[in-house]
Amino acid sequence: MMPNKMIGVKCTSCGAVYYPKRDCCPKCRSIKLEETEIGDQGELITYTELWAVPKGISQMPLVLGIVQFASGTRVLGQVSAKEVKVGMCLKPVWAVVRKVQEKEVHGFKFEPI
Amino acid sequence: MPREVSIIGAGMAQFGNRTDKTLMGLFKEAATRAIDHANLGDTPISSLYVSTMLAGELTNQTATASALADELCIIPVAADRVENGPASGGSAVKNAYLSIAAGFADIVLVVGGEKMREVPGDRITDLIATMTHPTAEYINGVTLPSLAAMFTRLYMNKYGVERKHLSMIAVKNHSNALMNPYAHIHRKITLEGICTSPEAEVNNPIIADPLRLFDMCPVSDGAAAVVLCAGDIAKKFTDKPVIVAGVGQATDIHAVAQRPDPTALNAVKNSSQQAFKMARLTPKDMDFAELHDAFTILEIAESEDAGFFEKGTAHKAVEQGVTLLGGKFPINPSGGLKARGHPVGATGVAQIAELTWQLRGEAGERQVKGAKKAFSCNFGGFGNNVVSFVLRRDI
Amino acid sequence: MLQNTQSLEKKMEKMENIEQMLSLDWDMPKKPYPAKVITLPTGSKMVVREIQREEVPHLLDAIRPLLTVAADYYDIVSARMYAELLGWYRYRVRNEYCLVGIVDGELAGIVNNRLYDNKTCISYHTMALKRGGRVGAHLFAAKQEHAIENYGVDQILVTAESPIGFNRWMVEWNLEPRPGLQHELGGAAAYALTKEGYGIRKSKLVFGERPVPKDLYEQTLNFKVVPPDMVKEAKA
Repeated sequence: MMPNKMIGVKCTSCGAVYYPKRDCCPKCRSIKLEETEIGDQGELITYTELWAVPKGISQMPLVLGIVQFASGTRVLGQVSAKEVKVGMCLKPVWAVVRKVQEKEVHGFKFEPI
Repeated sequence: MPREVSIIGAGMAQFGNRTDKTLMGLFKEAATRAIDHANLGDTPISSLYVSTMLAGELTNQTATASALADELCIIPVAADRVENGPASGGSAVKNAYLSIAAGFADIVLVVGGEKMREVPGDRITDLIATMTHPTAEYINGVTLPSLAAMFTRLYMNKYGVERKHLSMIAVKNHSNALMNPYAHIHRKITLEGICTSPEAEVNNPIIADPLRLFDMCPVSDGAAAVVLCAGDIAKKFTDKPVIVAGVGQATDIHAVAQRPDPTALNAVKNSSQQAFKMARLTPKDMDFAELHDAFTILEIAESEDAGFFEKGTAHKAVEQGVTLLGGKFPINPSGGLKARGHPVGATGVAQIAELTWQLRGEAGERQVKGAKKAFSCNFGGFGNNVVSFVLRRDI
Repeated sequence: MLQNTQSLEKKMEKMENIEQMLSLDWDMPKKPYPAKVITLPTGSKMVVREIQREEVPHLLDAIRPLLTVAADYYDIVSARMYAELLGWYRYRVRNEYCLVGIVDGELAGIVNNRLYDNKTCISYHTMALKRGGRVGAHLFAAKQEHAIENYGVDQILVTAESPIGFNRWMVEWNLEPRPGLQHELGGAAAYALTKEGYGIRKSKLVFGERPVPKDLYEQTLNFKVVPPDMVKEAKA
């Protein structure tokens, strides 16, 4: 089944949101976390164009960025966009992110709205 | 009441491209020099700590502490391998300190080393990248340079750090390393050559925008060693013991993006505060520091989070020459990771070795005049595990 | 008897013509390469200038020690460059030019190309004798600059023996693969740097100041050949 929404967790004690999912909240140490949707779009707060790419990555350069969502969480992911600027709006898209030992691996990457 | 712990000897194996020796050979080179420096003579060593992050992956050898105990003919010494990523060295020295302070051991040898150049560049980059968060970072193709680059862009936008500040740090550290016989890189560079000239575009190419070639430490082989002993017997071996006044360690959220403020190095802040508290000293009391500049931006960020400069202002101090060897507060007189090199398991131990030589007045041309108190921090992962030390010499 | 002597004389006459037939030199007008100065990371200044045929033996002295250094493919690159320069010197290579980089009066690097015709240039080799200063990158750019800007060719065909060279040239210059085309160097896969491609990348890859100050230029005329860094490393 192909996920079309980013599902993370929200801490029911302090409200912090995390993606990917985790079992305990590093902020308040609570283990009471429930699933929550991260969001359909976020703002790019930083990025890099990486020219020294690791094995299994086919794009050169590889653009990586950190996207901030209204839910309060920040997510690191690959960015597929012709032009990249801090502040731009991006949406998560389920795609092949790399190969690990020749097998394709999927994950969320970010594209312009 | 914990016992006082002193450092009585230090030694290093030349950092660089060491095709001439195996990892064990490099460990031995450093250990032998440290043992000689400590004037141990026939005195038995109680414990051995060996720090290496990737011995198994790079040279197909595990249980390296057990192996070295035999190689050095110091069996039946207690021996442990310590692994904490790039902070392995700091953790090994910390463990040595703890065993003496607790009264378990009297004389402890710590040796750290790595043979990073044993494998091709893309393989070592990947091995180092395995420290990152597996599902939040690694799987996306994250490498340490890419994390440092994203951190740098945030820092530049938030605090006004510019490319030239990063280049100035590289120029300073290369210059200092020229006076460090054990350093990997002995090459002068200039701000014109790597930053201000048009040809700097080719001389200092982008590796992970905005970080460039000369913002990143080299891939190095090498080893370093120190000998620690109980404070009350140190004078038997040297009249220049260096006291381990403070130790601190802290971890942080693994995935950089999940940290409340990705530009804050909380593990540096927490571990350094612990070390200063234990030493009953403050950053202002320090005469110099050895910081973990795997990337030039980290020298700036760590100097702030360790308390030497207000957050967001260290780059101004760099501009004013405060951190030069002859400046008010020298940082990385050894040449730092940038020019001394960064064989991962060796670095934390090499930092302590440099502090030891400097505080004993044995640092030759790169001596920080009158140095009596110094700080080091060894940065694991991308700042999610940091070990800090405050050393002092009572004259 | 008389008939035989005449045939022998005719044959000997032809021998003199054979040297002329085999002799290769420039068959198109030569364009000068205006020398330039490049600042290296160390702050040192490298003068890039074209060499004359008479200087080839001096360069061969510099290359010879590298013929046995296997690391980073120095042995094959130096063997081939040695042959190319010697070939030019002995009139057995057509339309070859060679630029050198000189730092503090010492030879730092050598690059060479051959013009196939006025539309196509064959990129031969790039050899840095001093490490770590991006000497090779700057000299590669200079020899392509000469072909595109001074000779006006439409494309330069490039290949590489070393994976490091491949990465640098193919990726940094965004060269276009030419599948099916065999490069003069052993029939290797050929990649092209077109006039357009050069134009796009020039501002990021081609540097240097002109003219070269007179005394600095004079230092380059009788440059010294010192043991290359790679030979010292190989011995260590």
